Amino acid sequence: MVVSLISIILLCPLAAFAIFALLGLAKRNFPRQDYLSTAAMLVALVCSFLLLWEVVPKPEPHTVDWISLGKITFSMGFYLDSVTVIMLIVVTLVSSLVHIFSIGYMHGDPRYPRFFAYLSLFSFSMLFLVVSDNLLGIYIGWELVGLCSYLLIGFWFEKDSAANACKKAFLTTRVGDVGMFIGMMMLFARFDTLSLYGDNGIFTRITNPEYLTADASGIFWLSIAGVLIFCGAVGKSAQVPLHTWLPDAMEGPTPVSALIHAATMVAAGVYLTARMFPILTPSSSLVIAYVGGITALVAATIAIVRFDIKRVLAYSTVSQLGYMMLAIGAGSYVAGLFHLTTHAFFKALLFLGSGSVIHAFHAMHAHHDEEHANGEEHKHDDHSLVHAHGSEIPSDQDMRNMGGLRRKMPWTFGTMLVATLSISGVPFIFSGFWSKDKILGGVLGRAMEWNSVHHYVLFGMALLAAGITAFYMFRLIFMTFFGEPRNQEMHDMAHESPWVMVVPLLVLAILSFPVVNKWWFNKDNIIRPEQPHIHAPQHAQLGPDTKIDGANFGIAFFGISETEAAEEEGEKNTKKADDAYYIHKLAHNIAMVLSIVVAGVGILLSWLFYHRRRFSAESVATTFRPAYNLFWNKYYFDEFYDGVLVALTVWKSRLFAKFDLSAIDGIVNGVATITRQVFAAFIGFFDNRVVDGIVNRVAEVTWAAGGRIRRIQTGAIQTYLFVVLGGIVLIILIFRAL
Amino acid sequence: MLLSLMIFVPLLGMIVVLLLPRESEELIKRVTLLFTLIPLVLAVVLFISYDRSTAGTQYFVSVPWIETFNINYHIGIDGLSVTLILLTALLGPICVLASWRNIEKGIKAYMALFLLLETGMLGFFAALDLFLFFVFFELTLLPMYFLIGVWGGPRREYAAIKFFLYTLFGSVLMLVAMIAVYLNSGVPGERTFDIPTLITLAGTEGHALADPGFQIWVFLGFFIGFAVKVPIFPFHTWLPDAHVEAPTAISVILAGVLLKMGTYGLVRINMAMFPEGIDFFTNGVGFWGNSLALLGFINIVYGSFCALAQTDFKKLVAYSSIGHMGFVILGLAARNETGVTGAILQMFNHGVISAMLFLLVGVLYDRAHHREINGFGGLGNRMPIYTGITTLAFMASLGLPGLSGFVGEALSLLGAFAKFQVLTILSTIGIVVGAAYFLWTLQRVFLGQLNPKYEDLPEINGREILTLVPLGVLTIVLGIWPHFAIEMFSESVTKLTEIMGTLQASL
Repeated sequence: MVVSLISIILLCPLAAFAIFALLGLAKRNFPRQDYLSTAAMLVALVCSFLLLWEVVPKPEPHTVDWISLGKITFSMGFYLDSVTVIMLIVVTLVSSLVHIFSIGYMHGDPRYPRFFAYLSLFSFSMLFLVVSDNLLGIYIGWELVGLCSYLLIGFWFEKDSAANACKKAFLTTRVGDVGMFIGMMMLFARFDTLSLYGDNGIFTRITNPEYLTADASGIFWLSIAGVLIFCGAVGKSAQVPLHTWLPDAMEGPTPVSALIHAATMVAAGVYLTARMFPILTPSSSLVIAYVGGITALVAATIAIVRFDIKRVLAYSTVSQLGYMMLAIGAGSYVAGLFHLTTHAFFKALLFLGSGSVIHAFHAMHAHHDEEHANGEEHKHDDHSLVHAHGSEIPSDQDMRNMGGLRRKMPWTFGTMLVATLSISGVPFIFSGFWSKDKILGGVLGRAMEWNSVHHYVLFGMALLAAGITAFYMFRLIFMTFFGEPRNQEMHDMAHESPWVMVVPLLVLAILSFPVVNKWWFNKDNIIRPEQPHIHAPQHAQLGPDTKIDGANFGIAFFGISETEAAEEEGEKNTKKADDAYYIHKLAHNIAMVLSIVVAGVGILLSWLFYHRRRFSAESVATTFRPAYNLFWNKYYFDEFYDGVLVALTVWKSRLFAKFDLSAIDGIVNGVATITRQVFAAFIGFFDNRVVDGIVNRVAEVTWAAGGRIRRIQTGAIQTYLFVVLGGIVLIILIFRAL
Repeated sequence: MLLSLMIFVPLLGMIVVLLLPRESEELIKRVTLLFTLIPLVLAVVLFISYDRSTAGTQYFVSVPWIETFNINYHIGIDGLSVTLILLTALLGPICVLASWRNIEKGIKAYMALFLLLETGMLGFFAALDLFLFFVFFELTLLPMYFLIGVWGGPRREYAAIKFFLYTLFGSVLMLVAMIAVYLNSGVPGERTFDIPTLITLAGTEGHALADPGFQIWVFLGFFIGFAVKVPIFPFHTWLPDAHVEAPTAISVILAGVLLKMGTYGLVRINMAMFPEGIDFFTNGVGFWGNSLALLGFINIVYGSFCALAQTDFKKLVAYSSIGHMGFVILGLAARNETGVTGAILQMFNHGVISAMLFLLVGVLYDRAHHREINGFGGLGNRMPIYTGITTLAFMASLGLPGLSGFVGEALSLLGAFAKFQVLTILSTIGIVVGAAYFLWTLQRVFLGQLNPKYEDLPEINGREILTLVPLGVLTIVLGIWPHFAIEMFSESVTKLTEIMGTLQASL
């Protein structure tokens, strides 16, 4: 049952893509690719919900041998626990809604069917990644979603900015992926397998105390491997320093931004890190926590000064992903996954909402069609690997052209407001508050429990980032929907989007309230999943148990009360864990109060700045010019990469090519010339027809290289055939003489 | 018998083609196609009927040939050869189809030479007598020389001679090594060229062939001969020139099959026959112990960086071949099951993928009559199907999982990492650079605004799609289910690793 349901989930979107690809070879299109892809996704959605009843307390991987080489076997298969199911539901749900939204948003695009085919391929790849039970399978899905991301960012490839952005996205994430692959090689070298579960799986083997006692370097090895695998997540989830591709990825159509670059693919890194949690040692966890914390803060500060509505959301996504990584690094991987889920819904909503606004301002893709019909408008000679940045903000995405839209687009405004309240952490009735609080509480709890300075610092960063998030999100809302229209012409054109676009917004808005989530996920069979949380002996040896609130994903999930959780924990754990539990409970209470305060301050400041206009953002920017410049220029990451790394690579490649052409080939040609001279001397002594023939050819080549050209004639082939035949006879004669 | 028939059917075809009148070009092409399809059918029969459960050679034939020197016509196939024979036989008809329209002169001689070449290649992969092996090896050289030198581009003569001399240089060393092996194989009268016998003798304690010092020198002789073919840095500069000048179909054969002859030779002769020799160069101790892996690493990184700098589409693909063959060398240097399996798989996959790439370059060249990457732009809109297939081939070549290129590359690296950690990690630079040059090319040729010069460029036609589809299907199928190919040679690999005395090394 499990296998067949998962197979259906995977095959439906794959089939939708395959139909497009196969018909494409015959220069045809399926009449309604949009309905086909959407239907495939809806089937997958239903199957994902059915899988809720299939989760068992002790899941087993369902595998087949993929490659078997003597003693080594690479298996492929599915692994279904509650984490898988929740990810499946999130992916299929958001994907279905984005499909539906796109029917309206992409209407009239010249490559309309292709868009849906790509969405299907993406959904397949993402789902494959989610259900895979081993690292190799995850890596396969991982790279395939990267390909789809590439294709969809570059969907409007006539724009140079889009063409540059898709290349950048692919290459930047590939840098991370190579790190991940090296990590996989390290694990493989040690365990001779890439399977995670099952008797021979890495997670099982690692819990075996013998693993650690047998080899003292094991922990070190594991720490390095863990950080390297995390590199893959740094690329995919756009963590500092590989985050620069994600804002550029906004060149893709907005539904793509919502699906791939907010809700699912970028969250895959978080999912991977959570899946790999059992092998993370305290040191690799700390690296992850810092990367996450820095990302959360850096991206949030950049978001404050953006004017492009999609870029604000992009940096916000980067920042929120940093939050999730921070949670996992601090040991609260459940909180990380929880935030992944809530974020998927409200961030998809924000992107689709912004898409609705952009669509209202003018149907960009329709214009886009005209643009590429009219080739002179764009120059496309700038095709260097190094490309320009800070391109002009498209007028329909510039918040400085917006304002007062709440009356024109009430549904879009209402739903986006819900999402904004959720992401800002407005207490109690919005899902984002709960998940963010879980993270903050988790980090503070870790700090208090271990009395760790690192974690206090991280908590401070997270708290600051939370306040900034509330500030810039309300800035977005005020600039877009409140105040007076700043561009009357565009404002007059604006209109509420069609129902096919508004309905997905409404669904996502409903999903931003925790009560709905509770209603779904509060099923008996999902409360106690067995994520093999193996923090294992090595953690016990090296420091306090890192697993505190990691046991029950379902409990953490959406508003099941803390008391329930306490009872669960209390029953299971020893006295020590009880102490830890009370520390964490205290931490959560402190964190909750603080997070409410910072969110309030952020919103208040935003209100004063952008609604009441008590303070002027410009004057603040002037006062803190250096900081403002740093944020505005995105900490100069792009400048560094393009100016140094890419330029260096291109320079090196030219150097190598030149070396190849002049040095190595120079030697070769030189040797040929010398050989020719030597052979020429031979001719004087041995007037042998065969040698003569060869030497003449040698002479000719060197002359040809020098510019004298004599063509070989077709008719002469027979002659040469005889020459070589003669050569073979000669060899045989020499043999006889031996 | 089946095997001999397969090898010599193209030769028969050559004679038939030579008897046909020069003017009836269509007939010549059809006859050639027929005579390349027959070996394909036979190769498929071999592939299906091959007993996958043993490592022994099958379908062997041994007939005395030159009795004075104890030379036999000894052929047979194991899992490795049958895989490469299938590749060769598959590329045969594809190349004939790819030559259908763009060979303007002397189609008769062209087709005759092509058929001769095919016999040489098929024979090479089946030969089990060292002398026969050498004869077939040289037999591919001659037609190749003419095919590049007569039907090539503007600098065809230079390229052809360069190719010829380079290979000749290698084969001379190989010949010397071969004779040395022969002379040491026993007392006069008992000397032999028989490969399986020699492998046994070289593994026999106290035999002259088993002497480590001897093996190292002979290893080097054969190695350089094969290194030119692979090509391994610094013997690689003939390759870009030969590719740029050669007609499309010949580039396909060159990249698809001829390069594999080098790596096949390394496996068949160097690794199987000289375990002491291979041990000296790959045992991971000191400079020499890392030398083969080092060469693999240099090929990968050097080839990739050189490819990044190219602006000629075909030259770029040629340099990418150098990079990808580096993974084969690296995998072989690992000497464990994972690495060797990866290397062999990579041989086959590279044959398929690079064939696709050269066919695709040819399609574009036939239309635009130039290959300057920067001279295109925006073709994605004009030729969507062509763009789609090119994207598939590029992605396969840059090692995207789910397509065949990934599996070979990944296994080679996984295998090599067990032994050469630093070199393997450094080699992964090639993966990033590989993605960079392909994506950059994709952007410069297909993305952006359409160059107005090419507004009327016709879409890829049915015949061209026909040549690409089988390769594309193989790329996808082997990406999803590589076991299909691996099961052919896994037993042979196990045997080989046993000969080398290095079963899967673990840290």
